[in-house]
Amino acid sequence: MNIYNSKQYKILDVIKQTGDNTLLRIKCDLNPMPGQFVNVSIPGIGEAPISSASYNDKLLDLNVRIVGNVTKAMTQLKKGDEIGLRGPYGNGFPMKELKGKDLVLVGGGCGVAPLRGIIEYVDLHWKDYKDVYMFFGYRTPGDILFKDEISGWNDKYKVFLSVDQEVGANPFNCPVGFVTDNLKENKVPSNAVALMCGPPIMMTKTTEILKEKGLTEKQLYVSLERHMKCCTGKCGHCMVHGQYVCLDGPVFTYDEVKNLDE
Amino acid sequence: MGKVLEKEGLHNFILSLQKHGLLIAPVTTDMTRFKVLEAGDKVELNNNPFFPLKKYFLPNEEPVLKIKNGLTKEPKLKEPKKIIFGARLCDINGLAILDKLYLDQRFVDETYKKRRENTTVIGLNCLNPPSENCFCGSMGLQKEGYDLLFHERELDYYIDVLTKKGAKLVKHLRSEEFDFPLPKTDKKLDPKDLWPFMADKFWEKDNDLCVSCQRCTILCPTCFCFDLHDDVNPATKSGDRLRTIDSCHSPDFTQVAGGHVFRAKRLQRYRHRVMHKLQFFKDKFDRSMCTGCGRCIDYCHSKIDFVKTINEDFK
Repeated sequence: MNIYNSKQYKILDVIKQTGDNTLLRIKCDLNPMPGQFVNVSIPGIGEAPISSASYNDKLLDLNVRIVGNVTKAMTQLKKGDEIGLRGPYGNGFPMKELKGKDLVLVGGGCGVAPLRGIIEYVDLHWKDYKDVYMFFGYRTPGDILFKDEISGWNDKYKVFLSVDQEVGANPFNCPVGFVTDNLKENKVPSNAVALMCGPPIMMTKTTEILKEKGLTEKQLYVSLERHMKCCTGKCGHCMVHGQYVCLDGPVFTYDEVKNLDE
Repeated sequence: MGKVLEKEGLHNFILSLQKHGLLIAPVTTDMTRFKVLEAGDKVELNNNPFFPLKKYFLPNEEPVLKIKNGLTKEPKLKEPKKIIFGARLCDINGLAILDKLYLDQRFVDETYKKRRENTTVIGLNCLNPPSENCFCGSMGLQKEGYDLLFHERELDYYIDVLTKKGAKLVKHLRSEEFDFPLPKTDKKLDPKDLWPFMADKFWEKDNDLCVSCQRCTILCPTCFCFDLHDDVNPATKSGDRLRTIDSCHSPDFTQVAGGHVFRAKRLQRYRHRVMHKLQFFKDKFDRSMCTGCGRCIDYCHSKIDFVKTINEDFK
């Protein structure tokens, strides 16, 4: 098997989540761990690494925001089409090591998508974890992802949503402010672990706040963004300080990456 | 156990290799290059070729997949048997370093593997460094990566035999036990942990001279970074997914969707390359990724000598 080749999988549904986010539901048995990613192939256009937004041995959800040609082509696919995937790649969040802990999930925008994989994992392994705190921030109420699932999450977990700006209807009554404001104002146990994905500024601020709340740098997990091309530790594009984000990451403890001055 | 070949037998030995596959050796025209040996070519025994050995295992551009009717298909592997004579230990150790990545058990690159299997590498030990910028004597080269290695002595060549593939080619020769010396160089890189020298000030002098021309990465025996991109005919929608040589010196090398570039400054890119060669790889694999061939200094547009800078200024 050529390591650069992908297999074809059937698209079961294409769900437009927000103005620029689309969820592809794919019949797929790759079953990535939360935080792992697959490389999506659109022959003739190229490949793009996309994080799994699910934890399921029969389905794979990929949330796609149009940021380039591959993601644009992905959103033009229709139910019943096939899509090329290879993977899963990367280490993912260390769910087994985190058994018995409170989990604090911090996500900004489409950075929430990989964290949804954690939620689905915990749904299946709820006995293994204590409380789950979710701090998810979006630009506007219209940008909120997985809207249909929020009431279900509210029943089981502690959900804190926020929006940067209140534009249009605000059905979840989200406070206006950054995800970090919500985090600052609410209590989380100091022995919890935080798992985050979002823009670098969000991760930096989140880290500062959580350290003030008594969490150490080893209790903070971040998912790094790089353009993985080969996804197999060869092409060099995702390397930072000798770490291949595709193989050694994309999840690192804050302690491991805090000094990654390029 | 090695073998011995009398000096006057060398020419015939090289020609006899042609019956085992495509014979490649250094030949000098305007400069010395590896090439497929043709009638009339004279094998160059003194210079290290301009372009390193890696091109026979990782060509500058090749399709990793064929694209047809919107699907990718694996191209048929047709790898002719090759025999490369006259490679230097810096390039050969470079292959051993590339093996660590391309033959990584988790993700074996089958094309690279096939080429390694179908190629017999016959090295030529350096008695004198081919360039004043050679510093392999300080880079911990090892007796590995080749099938046979020729070491010139006063009257004959001692041939170190590492593999069965190599042994077959010299089974008719007389055996001898001899511990041949590794090449020595006047130029040396002082062994240093480079982590304490990450601050910009240590890199500014060389970076001011660098023009990001990428010659150092193109000519490095172990620089292997590549891009993957699709090249299709818009009318037929058929074409290739290509692997093309890339360089960490390129400004868009670390660009992600949306346009952000992680190493936007040239200094960051310059530092990344040197650190990868001398520190990052060593942290993971316990050996330097640089084999001291000196090409990146010899052919640098601005004559940047990072060995001198590290030796003299990294204090």
